[in-house]
Amino acid sequence: MFEQYEVNGVFDEMFTAKDRPRAHYQSVDRRLRKLNPAMLDRRRRMADVSFRNQGITFTVYGDARGVEKTFPFDLVPRIIPASEWDAIERGLEQRIAALNLFCKDVYGDQRILKEGVVPPALIYGAKMFRREMIGVSVSRDIYIHICGTDLIRDRDGNYLVLEDNGRTPSGVSYVLENRAVMKRVAPTMFSAYKVRAIEDYPYNLLRCLKHVAPARGEDPTIVVMTPGIYNSAYFEHSFLARQMGVELVEGSDLVVDNGFVYMRTTAGLRRVDVIYRRVDDDFLDPLAFRPDSMLGVAGLMNAFRLGNVALVNAPGTGVADDKAVYPYVPDMIRFYLKQEPILANVRTYICDRPDDRQYVLEHLHELVVKSTNESGGYGMLMGHQAPQAEREEFAEKIRSDPRNFIAQPIVELSQHPTLFEDHFEGRRVDLRPYILYGEKPIVMPGGLTRVALRKGSLVVNSSQGGGSKDTWVLEEEISPSGVATSVAMSSA
Amino acid sequence: MSTDTSKFFVTRPPRPMLARDADSVYWMSRYAERAEHIARILLVNTNLLIDVGDLAPELQERQWQSVLTIMRSAELPQLPPDPPALTAMPGTTTDAPLAQRVAHHMAFSSDNPNSLFNCISRARENARGIRETISAEMWENLNTLYWTLRDAPARFDESPEDVYRQVIIGSMLFQGLTDQTLQHDQRWHFAQLGKHLERIDVTSRVIATRFQILKQAESKLETPIRNIHWMSVLRSCCSIEAYRRNNIGDMDPVRVASFLILEPEFPRSIRFCVGQAYAAIAAIRAELHPQAIDPAERALGRLKTQLDYAEPAEVLKPGVPQYCERIQHEIAEAAVAVQATYFLH
Repeated sequence: MFEQYEVNGVFDEMFTAKDRPRAHYQSVDRRLRKLNPAMLDRRRRMADVSFRNQGITFTVYGDARGVEKTFPFDLVPRIIPASEWDAIERGLEQRIAALNLFCKDVYGDQRILKEGVVPPALIYGAKMFRREMIGVSVSRDIYIHICGTDLIRDRDGNYLVLEDNGRTPSGVSYVLENRAVMKRVAPTMFSAYKVRAIEDYPYNLLRCLKHVAPARGEDPTIVVMTPGIYNSAYFEHSFLARQMGVELVEGSDLVVDNGFVYMRTTAGLRRVDVIYRRVDDDFLDPLAFRPDSMLGVAGLMNAFRLGNVALVNAPGTGVADDKAVYPYVPDMIRFYLKQEPILANVRTYICDRPDDRQYVLEHLHELVVKSTNESGGYGMLMGHQAPQAEREEFAEKIRSDPRNFIAQPIVELSQHPTLFEDHFEGRRVDLRPYILYGEKPIVMPGGLTRVALRKGSLVVNSSQGGGSKDTWVLEEEISPSGVATSVAMSSA
Repeated sequence: MSTDTSKFFVTRPPRPMLARDADSVYWMSRYAERAEHIARILLVNTNLLIDVGDLAPELQERQWQSVLTIMRSAELPQLPPDPPALTAMPGTTTDAPLAQRVAHHMAFSSDNPNSLFNCISRARENARGIRETISAEMWENLNTLYWTLRDAPARFDESPEDVYRQVIIGSMLFQGLTDQTLQHDQRWHFAQLGKHLERIDVTSRVIATRFQILKQAESKLETPIRNIHWMSVLRSCCSIEAYRRNNIGDMDPVRVASFLILEPEFPRSIRFCVGQAYAAIAAIRAELHPQAIDPAERALGRLKTQLDYAEPAEVLKPGVPQYCERIQHEIAEAAVAVQATYFLH
């Protein structure tokens, strides 16, 4: 099974060298070696059927068959030791705090612009900067309630932040379903480990939503808002509504009357207090944003400005996860929190800066170029793999609209053993932990480990042929001999 | 954390239900029910023609035409249909036997809104939009059935009966799961309403269509063949065993009709279903509009009373098909009223 496995250069999550598993992987390693291809295949099939029958699917756009696909699931879990996680957790808490202060600031006093830490032109030029949000008082000053921050590891195993997703990050439902399926098809794999539970995420999310509800006499009415069943993340919207026990609404289920939001029920209109919206800013309200939106609710922004309804995440948070603003996040942490960043960024060239642009255009063959407002692996150039023509095309785009592009050196990403046909091979992985920001920040232990299923590929997005793994954060430290020892948790 | 126990008392107002969700629950249930009836009708008809096809060839075509009439699918479409994968199959070429063509048209055709596959797809599509409203068991059952049916065309000709039975059992399982895993609140009542209205609709059309055909042909048929035909009508309505317990001896058209229409305790009879549909709409109305009068409730209440006090002669006098048409008319009126009152806020 591991005969052909190669450990070569990039950081390997499981092995230090061929057949030398790290301490926290030893038990998994032993169990995997006991399995034969037929057993693995059976388990993989069990997992596939389970996903399909439960309808745990996403929709791929641009595919003529308009199909629901299951998100490929890999049976080898990714394991993160307790001490490693501790640092990640503190780093993410620090980051979401700074991003929220930044949002409040740019839509308020704009100190960070006035003091020259972030260039104003960058902010005013950001596509996702919402003038409509200036001076709006937001419930409890929280803008980004839910954040999914993508982490990768360099050659030495250092965790780096690749990007923050502070608008409507998706994927958390797969984290929960992956764990459930893992328990079903490979229960014995857990036996040597104390894996931190993640099942309380929907409960924490609900508490976070309640925290920002406008005060009134009764229990707040909370809803999840979806663009509808044809949205690629529809499964997740429905999943979260179900897990929290709240209604899942579409724009057409809501109506604004006299500054309040109501949903249409069989018994008439019923007031809504908090909307966990999974609809992009652009489509939220045809009166405020795109007038052709069929997914939104006319007057919603007005109700929001009046403080009669909470929107989660708040409109305008896209300014904080703009890829050209991302390089300034470490400075934000220093500026607002007077702390040094715990998690480092990836070196980033901002094409809007003449020096950077010059460098990028001269080094396209060794850089990743990204459009500042795209996600899901769209609008990207992998310089070292792209043909000459595509590189030239991107160079032209960069020259004509530099604000819209950034570039980063190709970070190799760590690799992880992944089942390929009947044996294991190394495949690149990243990690998207989910952070909730309500009364206090809560980081879900683990997150979504995405894996690029094509050999050598660095693109892990589900829309580009990526898969995922169950991710285990251990409660206990595992000593080099492979024996677990208790570690006090850092947060109560 | 402190707990406010007063929240758990029964005085808590019922949870509101999105109008769109009610709409979807209703149609999900209707389509699941429709699939069961279509599968059964196809199953019964196939078996019937194995028995009598050669003896009464002139009946064969009329018999299949009647299946299409029942499903309001008047004509066979020009073949071949999509998806392209189907074109290679024997049932989809124009020279294939009529039985096979109808079977494929009714089972998988995407042009036929009432094909088994379309019914299950629509039931599932509705369910998919309200997964947070229904139970996980209900969803998984429909979803599994959908995937089973998607994989079915390849093995269909080997044994159509297998596929029909899978749909029948899958649909019944779905209705059972609805009873056993869903709180019997508004959601359940809307599901019951959809199920029973659909059952009344199909059953009344089966009776009307078959009566028309059999009446015309009856003089030409010998008793054993005639019996087989009337038995197939009962089988199409899943009622043969219940009928036999109540009526010993030959198949008598009058008795068959009055059993299917007026029997008070049999869950497939029209009277029984009207009673259930009425109970469902009355429960919904009582919860949502305690003071008001509901047009759907009124329409079903009238029909229920009419059936509760009807004598078999009343059914026969205008003619069984005509009586069934009147029922359909009233059911349609009730369905439109439900739509207007609860789904279109």
